[in-house]
Amino acid sequence: MKGARLVSFLIGAVIVTACGSTTTGGGAYSGKAIKLGAILSITGPGGVYGPQSRDGMKLAVKQINAAGGVNGATIQLTINDDASLKPQAAQLAQTLIQGEQDLALLGPTLSNSAVAAHPLAESLKTPILAVSTTGIHIVPDCNWSVTSPDTTPCKFVFRDSLGEETAIPDNIQSYVADAHPKTGVLLVASDDKFSSDGGQIVQSTVGKYSINLLKVIKFLKAEDVTPYVTQAVQLNPDVIFITSLGAIPSKIMIEARKENWKGQFLGGNGFNTSTVSGAAGASGMGARSASAWYLGNTFPSNAEFVAAYKAQYNRDPDQFAAQGYTAIKILADAAQRANLTFSNLATDRDKLRAAMESVSIQSPLGPFQFTSTHDVKQTVWIIAMNGAGGFTLVHEIKAS
Amino acid sequence: MAQQLLNAIFIGSIYALFAVGYTLVFGILDILNLAHSAVFMLGAALTYSLVVNHGQSFWVACVLGVAAAAIMGLVIEHVCLRPLRRRRAPPIAALISTIGLALIIVAAVEQGLPGTFFAWLWVDGANSVSFPPGVVPNPTWYVAGLTLEASKVAIIPISILLMLVLGYVMRYTQVGRGLRAVAENPRAAQLMGLDVDRMISLTLVISSALGGLAGILFGVSMTDISPYIGRDYVEVRGLAVIVLGGMGSIPGAVAGGYLLGLIEVIALLVLGSNARAGVAFAALFLMLVLRPQGLFGVPLRGKV
Repeated sequence: MKGARLVSFLIGAVIVTACGSTTTGGGAYSGKAIKLGAILSITGPGGVYGPQSRDGMKLAVKQINAAGGVNGATIQLTINDDASLKPQAAQLAQTLIQGEQDLALLGPTLSNSAVAAHPLAESLKTPILAVSTTGIHIVPDCNWSVTSPDTTPCKFVFRDSLGEETAIPDNIQSYVADAHPKTGVLLVASDDKFSSDGGQIVQSTVGKYSINLLKVIKFLKAEDVTPYVTQAVQLNPDVIFITSLGAIPSKIMIEARKENWKGQFLGGNGFNTSTVSGAAGASGMGARSASAWYLGNTFPSNAEFVAAYKAQYNRDPDQFAAQGYTAIKILADAAQRANLTFSNLATDRDKLRAAMESVSIQSPLGPFQFTSTHDVKQTVWIIAMNGAGGFTLVHEIKAS
Repeated sequence: MAQQLLNAIFIGSIYALFAVGYTLVFGILDILNLAHSAVFMLGAALTYSLVVNHGQSFWVACVLGVAAAAIMGLVIEHVCLRPLRRRRAPPIAALISTIGLALIIVAAVEQGLPGTFFAWLWVDGANSVSFPPGVVPNPTWYVAGLTLEASKVAIIPISILLMLVLGYVMRYTQVGRGLRAVAENPRAAQLMGLDVDRMISLTLVISSALGGLAGILFGVSMTDISPYIGRDYVEVRGLAVIVLGGMGSIPGAVAGGYLLGLIEVIALLVLGSNARAGVAFAALFLMLVLRPQGLFGVPLRGKV
């Protein structure tokens, strides 16, 4: 009899443990709500990325809540449009933290906005998870600025997006191995952090591979790019590096091809959406970038995600959708393990932060954990535009 | 260098066509219509949408796009200007009301996504799109090392022709004489039997049609149609053009458009890309200091 009880106990323990590894209902949080606020660029130049992040997040929330929530609590996600404006992102962060009393935030879409919103979340001790920001000094030193370079690690800021400091050098290295380019021109938008950070990384990387950077051409996004492209094309480089966001990369590609330039485009995270690939069309064929995600990656969680996304939205997801989806899964996993009180928000935010540091989940991005600096460590996919709005895989670089 | 000069002429033509609409309203009404940049965008967005989402031919869509822009001129007059004129509000009130309308138009277009209320108008939200290849006949020729794209080359004669026609209408027709009379003294024009409100409506219709056409030409040649093309590319530059050329002067707007295009490109070549916008607006500042009435030297008020 004792043996039978012991077996029953062990079976029960196994079931409870197994349930603990996924988000299921009927637990300690039953009847509660986990309030999350996403700050995304739905409109403005970042509007080519934000809607995809939003759709990925909403899908994850729908799945988790349908499966019974997080220990019984439902996730309540609000999507807030910062219009790609830094002050609006900061204002929203303050409203969501102090007014709406959200447990944690996600976003903002653009690095340029993150430098305003992240320090605010850090000072108000609220976890914030960046889902698409790839600039320098997003993590861990969120308070860093040119005028006062503060390198103190931020405790509450995390990101699940692949930093350009990893992505751009990987992309250049990969192309150099394949094609041995000798010369390049950099076209860089100088009026936002993401683009200028990318330009800085290109300039500090090309020398390692003996690429002669013939010229650095800076421009503002609200300008006709034609004369800049003409200037670049007339130097006849092997490679044109583009670090800019929104619709600019596709415009540059179209214009350069019209001017009969046959070389290679290399870029950054700004390339990695079907919107940009689609806008570039045939002119973008072969343009390479390093991505945090690839549609055909063979991680089991990715196949499930892609199928669910297509069923929900009737189109393929892109990198930004995958990162948004993963972000919700990360927060749900952390919340599940954080033993939240739902009575003391400050304590809960700190518990969530601590739990996020030990997240270990399967995601569309692959097996996911944060590094000790709250950054992402993951496989990098070198992808090329396929001329029809999608991407083909060129190389896979495993996380070292 | 020659390619860059061509670039300057192409973009200068767009600036000129856009600025003519601006300056026409200023010349008649003494008001800056800051909804003009939104009408520029709307012309391009609607034409794109008619072609890509509603299956119309490009030429039909162009006609409808310009017609819609012209109707927006009536909306501007009836919503933003006439009510304020009735109350004898100062010009600054009209300027602010047109800014408000511009913001509403841009916001409406950027909300346009599949399944939304504005989906009939636009389904690409904040995204930048361009006409699919083959929709607009646009061969490219390579002559003596220069790239000549049909859509850009065509802008030049279209712009010049339209501006000549407008100049002729203003100078030699009954309508033009009426408009100039209203510009000179609306009260006197009214006492002489002119329907001033009708003349003003006509001004807004012509101005907005030109703005919409400029937007379509921009969208075709620059492969960029988004809710922000008016605000980002021509709104402030259009103001610079009419100051350079002379506020209220149609020939001035034409000359100012080409001049601004040239200044921007020369600044880029000589001083580098960082200086482009700065030099253009430094030239504007110099013009304001040295010759406030602009290149064509017309008095600041009442000339079209």
